[in-house]
Amino acid sequence: MDFEGKDIISMNDLTREEIDEILLKVPDVCNHPDKKSLCKDKVSAMLFFEPSTRTRTSFEVAMRNLGGTVGGFFDANITSVVKEESLWDTVKMHDGYGFHVMVIRHPLKGASRLAAEAAEIPVINAGDGPNQHPTQTLLDLYSIKETQGTLDGLTVAMVGDLANGRTVHSLTEALLKYDNCHLIFISPRDLAMPRFIVDKCKKVSSETGSSFTEGTRIEDYVADVDILYMTRIQKERLLERTAAEKFRSIYRLEAGMLKNSKPHMKVMHPLPRVTEIAQDVDATHHAYYFQQARNGLFVRETLLALILGAVK
Amino acid sequence: MNQRTVTIAKIKTGIVIDHIPSGKAYLISQVLGLNALARETGDIIAIGINFESPSMKKKDIIKVENLSLTRDMLNVVALIAPIATITRIEDGEVIEKHKVETPTRIGDIVLCPDRFCVTNHEQVPGKFDVVTKDPLMLKCYYCETEFFGPLIKYKEKN
Repeated sequence: MDFEGKDIISMNDLTREEIDEILLKVPDVCNHPDKKSLCKDKVSAMLFFEPSTRTRTSFEVAMRNLGGTVGGFFDANITSVVKEESLWDTVKMHDGYGFHVMVIRHPLKGASRLAAEAAEIPVINAGDGPNQHPTQTLLDLYSIKETQGTLDGLTVAMVGDLANGRTVHSLTEALLKYDNCHLIFISPRDLAMPRFIVDKCKKVSSETGSSFTEGTRIEDYVADVDILYMTRIQKERLLERTAAEKFRSIYRLEAGMLKNSKPHMKVMHPLPRVTEIAQDVDATHHAYYFQQARNGLFVRETLLALILGAVK
Repeated sequence: MNQRTVTIAKIKTGIVIDHIPSGKAYLISQVLGLNALARETGDIIAIGINFESPSMKKKDIIKVENLSLTRDMLNVVALIAPIATITRIEDGEVIEKHKVETPTRIGDIVLCPDRFCVTNHEQVPGKFDVVTKDPLMLKCYYCETEFFGPLIKYKEKN
């Protein structure tokens, strides 16, 4: 499989075999003897139209760890975007500056796909509104595989804002490519998994042996799961802020709730967390969100090295 | 009482779109941009609504005195009228007759219903994949939203 020059826009574009190949390459890139010069003289454009901490920092560090550099912007308010420059033009302009790869985050769905059409260089989607965040999904899959040894036959519960949380949409679609997964969607009814994803689960279930359940309480499922994937109730995407406060108090995981969980069960979270995981969970052996975030660096290093053709 | 016999005059050269479900002809003419075509070319376009049909009871029919609409362009008719037939006439002779075929990908003729989709904020012509034909379900190429039924809103071409 050759990933050189490929865009990474949506998990829907990747086959199970391609995902497995990327995950398999992670240790190779991380422990590569010439890691520091794998992407020497390569420059990554960073087009961040929306705030980001982990994704942005890890992409920057990843590029530097491979011997490359980064340029671009992390705040659209200081660019010509405030002069109403179109996304197409902004991408075209950066495409002509001699960058080798472009990493883009944008608040609108489909913005990264549009950027990939405008740019000649490969584009990595670092989040397009509530749609896709494929590098997050790849790091989630890597972390799941690292802790469970497989991606088949797992019971994975996703908790919180499933309506707006792009990570859970991408993760669901990715897990549907694997066999015999049982997915549990736990959320308030107002923030339930979108119908089109639920319909996809129904459609795929007969082909891969996967199944899914929808519920409203964490406590009902915590003993059955291999992975408890927590998400933040996203205030900025909710019209009523008071609703966010209400949901946050209900969808909160505390260490005491984990006493009947399976020994190998891991709690994951795309971070940032607000109140949905109490700090006392950090000390349990179930907590895995900080290792998960660190895996983001390794997965992004791998993707950059593959796309830039430094590793085959 | 005598049966009404209202017809649209035969065309010498052009395209006949027949077997359109009754009431859908105006929408089809809108999607195909027939208004603009008529304005630009001065050619005759006849739209017949509620004609009697042995197979459909009532049907609509469109006659376009122009041959510029390609087979691909006309296939979008299948989204609205799956059993429509197209007849091409040149100098009074039928030169081609075929059923419309639902395309797998359509262009900028519908609106993405997702208000957060980039196509609703930037000057981008929409693109949609046909996920299922019956019922018709479309998927936005950009934001990946799948939609069907009343959420499928056709763009008006002026």
